[in-house]
Amino acid sequence: MLKVEGLRAGYGSINILWDLSFEVNAGEVVAILGSNGAGKTTMVRAVTGMVRPTAGSVVFDGEELAKKSSRYILDRGIVQVPEGRQIFTEMTVLENLEMGAFNKATRAAFAQNLETAYRHFPKLKERAKQAAGTLSGGEQQMLAVARALIGMPRLLILDEPSLGLAPNIVDDILEVASSMAKKDNIAVLLVEQDITKALACADRGYVIENGRIALQGTAAELSANEHVKKAYLGI
Amino acid sequence: MSIFLQACVNGLLMGGFYSLMGMGQNVIFGVMKIVNFCHGEMLMVGMYLTFLLSTNLGLDPYACVPLVAILMFLFGALIQHTLITPSLGTKSFTNLLFLTVGLGLLLSNGALVLFGSEYRTIPTSYAQTYIALGPVNLALPRLISFGVLIVISVALFAFLKYTTTGKQIRAVSQNPVGAEVVGINARRIYILTYGIGTALAGVAGSLLTGFYTIFPTAGASFGFRALIVVVVGGLGSIPGAFFAGIFLGVLETMVALFISPSYSDLIVFITFIVILVVRQLIIIRRK
Repeated sequence: MLKVEGLRAGYGSINILWDLSFEVNAGEVVAILGSNGAGKTTMVRAVTGMVRPTAGSVVFDGEELAKKSSRYILDRGIVQVPEGRQIFTEMTVLENLEMGAFNKATRAAFAQNLETAYRHFPKLKERAKQAAGTLSGGEQQMLAVARALIGMPRLLILDEPSLGLAPNIVDDILEVASSMAKKDNIAVLLVEQDITKALACADRGYVIENGRIALQGTAAELSANEHVKKAYLGI
Repeated sequence: MSIFLQACVNGLLMGGFYSLMGMGQNVIFGVMKIVNFCHGEMLMVGMYLTFLLSTNLGLDPYACVPLVAILMFLFGALIQHTLITPSLGTKSFTNLLFLTVGLGLLLSNGALVLFGSEYRTIPTSYAQTYIALGPVNLALPRLISFGVLIVISVALFAFLKYTTTGKQIRAVSQNPVGAEVVGINARRIYILTYGIGTALAGVAGSLLTGFYTIFPTAGASFGFRALIVVVVGGLGSIPGAFFAGIFLGVLETMVALFISPSYSDLIVFITFIVILVVRQLIIIRRK
């Protein structure tokens, strides 16, 4: 579904990603793993058009997206839950979710998608009229995920959903993501620093080091890999 | 007592204009984080536009208001698209400072070249009509203007609160990154915002012509007061700007009544500084 090849990107004269290639298929959860500063968020921004790649290709459903605008890519169905949530803190929970409906199709299906989002995260329904800034960190992350679901993603990108959250909340959020992959046949790209959690939920994974893919394999293979164990799991 | 009430009402009626100016400035600042230093000059442009429309087409000044609003919106949108948006990319505050200050100078001097320095008024049949309300006399033009600007303020508030575009404007002002994530076109929002801000200033100018003289630097004092209103009322808060504007108007007429009209600017700015200092002290205390 998504095929990234030779992706190179950075900010101004500073290059972050050197040569990144990976693939995500419908119905699977793929983890992109790496430590702080490895280039994970830059990868997310390059795939979603928020940073223009300087080389390489991003092919989604057979269409080249590498030079397209972020809005165009969003319309194709690549929706992200950004690092740091980026919700609208002074707007209500419901208004935040409304903002997730970014085009005609998603606006027409809003009522139905809202119900689905509330089913996944009942807390949000209780707090619909509350300003988003008054939610707890976990609830804010749920809101960010729910906002992305309102956009009817075909590829859902989760950028560091575990950051600063209690482990059980992270489990809930990852559970929703993987159940969506299986039931609705969408592709999920899970970008994580917390490798144990990510590999528990993912089908396959890639490890990024210094802007390049260092390792790849199934979740089981990566968990058993000596390098991963030593460098990331501390075993 | 009746003089006091009269001054109160006059201040209220004038304060509405500061509110309107402050709200325009506030919307622009909220979204782009820039101070629009030519906001007062936009009011002056609105005045001259009304003057031209009413003298050439024989329209009543109040009938010009919708036309002025549309023309000023387009003028603001054009300036945003051709001048401000490209400068926003440089992320340089000084660029935008010089740009908006320069625009203001260009506009007021342009008016001087086109219309000369004489003071102009638009004569109307009701300019000297007063309505007695108990001990208070209300000048009809001021009253109509105030009514119109209340309607505009409420409409602006409702627009930002309830419409999709209004919510998108708030989204961009609260979190530009989040707004890009959900596909909001920031450039479109910038154009809309600056257009709306400019239209609000233009409308304020248009509504003033019923009882205020028109001259090339007429906007300056309103521009300054808009800044005060924004800072006192709270950045990004529309109701805050509204009440701060009313407060400023009442304060000004009180000073004029009890001290001297020539001190009103002085007291206004002193009060402004005192509010800033007190607020800073409160913030420090809380920390």
